[in-house]
Amino acid sequence: MDEAAGDLKQALPSVWDSVQIHVEVHQKSSSTAKKEDIRRSVLKLLNRHNVVFGDYKWTEFDDGFLNSNVQSVSIVDTELKLKDRQPIDLSKSSLSLHIFHLNEEGPSSENLEEENEDIIAANHWVLPAAEFHGLWESLIYDTEVKSHLLDYVTTTLLFSDKNVDSNLISWNRVVLLHGPPGTGKTSLCKALAQKLTIRLSYRYRYGQFIEINSHSLFSKWFSESGKLVTKMFQKIQELIDDKDALVFVLIDEVESLTAARSAFKAGTEPSDAIRVVNAVLTQIDQIKRYPNVVILTTSNITEKIDMAFVDRADIKQYIGPPSPAAIFKIYLSCLEELMKCQIIYPRQQLLTLRELEMIGFVENNVSRLSLVLKEISRRSDGLSGRVLRKLPFLAHALYIQSPSVTMTTFLQALSLAVDKQFEERKKLADCV
Amino acid sequence: GKMAAPRIAVALAPTRAIAHPSPFLIAEAPSALDRGGGMRPQRSGLAAACPSVSVVFPGPVSRESCCRFACELLKHVLHQRHQLPLPYEQLAYFCRLQHLSFASSKKCQQVLMELEGVLQHLEVMFSLTLVPRVLILLGGNVMSPKELYELNLEGIYEGCAEESLKTASCVRKLFHALFVADVFSELKALPVMGTVVMLQGHRDCGVDWFRPKLNYKVPTRGRKLTVNLSCDGVVNVSSSPPQHVTSTWEDYVWFQAPVTLKGFRE
Repeated sequence: MDEAAGDLKQALPSVWDSVQIHVEVHQKSSSTAKKEDIRRSVLKLLNRHNVVFGDYKWTEFDDGFLNSNVQSVSIVDTELKLKDRQPIDLSKSSLSLHIFHLNEEGPSSENLEEENEDIIAANHWVLPAAEFHGLWESLIYDTEVKSHLLDYVTTTLLFSDKNVDSNLISWNRVVLLHGPPGTGKTSLCKALAQKLTIRLSYRYRYGQFIEINSHSLFSKWFSESGKLVTKMFQKIQELIDDKDALVFVLIDEVESLTAARSAFKAGTEPSDAIRVVNAVLTQIDQIKRYPNVVILTTSNITEKIDMAFVDRADIKQYIGPPSPAAIFKIYLSCLEELMKCQIIYPRQQLLTLRELEMIGFVENNVSRLSLVLKEISRRSDGLSGRVLRKLPFLAHALYIQSPSVTMTTFLQALSLAVDKQFEERKKLADCV
Repeated sequence: GKMAAPRIAVALAPTRAIAHPSPFLIAEAPSALDRGGGMRPQRSGLAAACPSVSVVFPGPVSRESCCRFACELLKHVLHQRHQLPLPYEQLAYFCRLQHLSFASSKKCQQVLMELEGVLQHLEVMFSLTLVPRVLILLGGNVMSPKELYELNLEGIYEGCAEESLKTASCVRKLFHALFVADVFSELKALPVMGTVVMLQGHRDCGVDWFRPKLNYKVPTRGRKLTVNLSCDGVVNVSSSPPQHVTSTWEDYVWFQAPVTLKGFRE
């Protein structure tokens, strides 16, 4: 019997034996059900539907308890681990269930000067936040950027949590994402923080996300020198002191900090600025020692960041503009949304690139529209994710303006919008 | 027995009769009260960072009274901590008459409307479930507020309306103790910020306005004041034991009001 089972195992692709399948369970905001009860019902559900093809999301249930307590049950991030879309036998996989509630409050702002409410030094969210929900899925990259970052930070937190001696093995919790503007670096930081809070909810009760406004550090508090930076980090330290909290500190466009240092060396920056920058760097060194902290930084220009900072970051990830394959996926998600809202009507089944590849890119009734989209994606090469997600809107505003259109008409408009985008770029370049 | 032993018992003789039972009137007239005497509660040794005020009522207290304590404490804190320019009742009064220049402003009406909403929903909540604890959180977020006021009702013996102490006299006693403890005068002025109310209730109480926060834990940092209320004296058979004894701890979960009360200045 065992032998037979062994043979069967060899015959079947055994990828899922080693792969952890993550199941995210979004508990309704009004639900007070116990986690154990939800876990039990979700496991029953997964037992009934035990084969899925890649990521899958349930929002309606045949079980009354789940219907009243659970918003959605999602099999997530399978594509990060399994290259090809293939059937996953849940009964044979190792399942990790993550049950979470979203915090619906928006960000609270941290004012540093008690008397002056105008200066907002930082925005502050409690994670998982409703505002960041769905962000992770909306970010599409070609390379394994997402899985690398997730694995990296997970290992980091594991090492810290297990008290690995940092004199013997050196690692830190500073992440630097760099690349051209509009590629979703800031969004990726937020999405990553949200993801980790959900994944690590067995260890940390909640996440705190602090987005430091590095421009305001300079423009307004110049005369106050580094004192206020110290004050801000004191507040962050208080958050870190709560061992149940996973604290994320985001310093956006970090080059504005570090540029000041090099300018100082060149003698063009007042000494106040350098004091602010040094205070920030010292504070980062202080807080990065704590096991429950992740410092996320982004930069639009890699060259301008000085080495003092680059050395501090352990993981430096380049985030480039999307490839035509990623552009195709981005467009697909946009069109899916427009069909859901019935702006594109009637609904058309679009094929994924993988599916197109499987039929050898042969044109027929099923594949025609998808091939048009593939061509638009090819011509969109070079546009950033931020622009791409704007184009469906521009296509509608400029060339359609009716409440409901067919897919064919919409794709024509999208194509025109892409052309216009490149024309405008050219004009701008000519002006300069 | 009682779940929470009061740190300092303020065993006051029956409070002097005050013509107007409105609590903020008491607070508005500090000199009228005897602040000396041996009755001033001390802050406990540890409590420099975390002062507490304890009040022991000489008999059972009704659920409605508990609700009033929470509502009055909320109004009082908002005014004392500079989130309302006037005590709530005065503000509501002037706002209705549109006497004050700012009172007619949208901001004032907005704040009052939101506050009234919270007060109404507190009543609903108290009618649905025992409420062992109420939190008033100022500034920051619910996990890390700037200031935290905790009303601990775990030591209350709940009685039905007829056999319980009168609400007005209990409120008076509570505010007298707060006042004598002089908990607000040393605090420095606060900027205008957001206030959130949280409270514990039974998991299955069926409230739909307050949002359950199953992962919540009371923050240990930030400035905190605890107000412990409990009952003493003869316990009638008919009055309930201290809250909680009848149910297990884990069935009481935290709920959060879905609005943030924004403070405002004139």
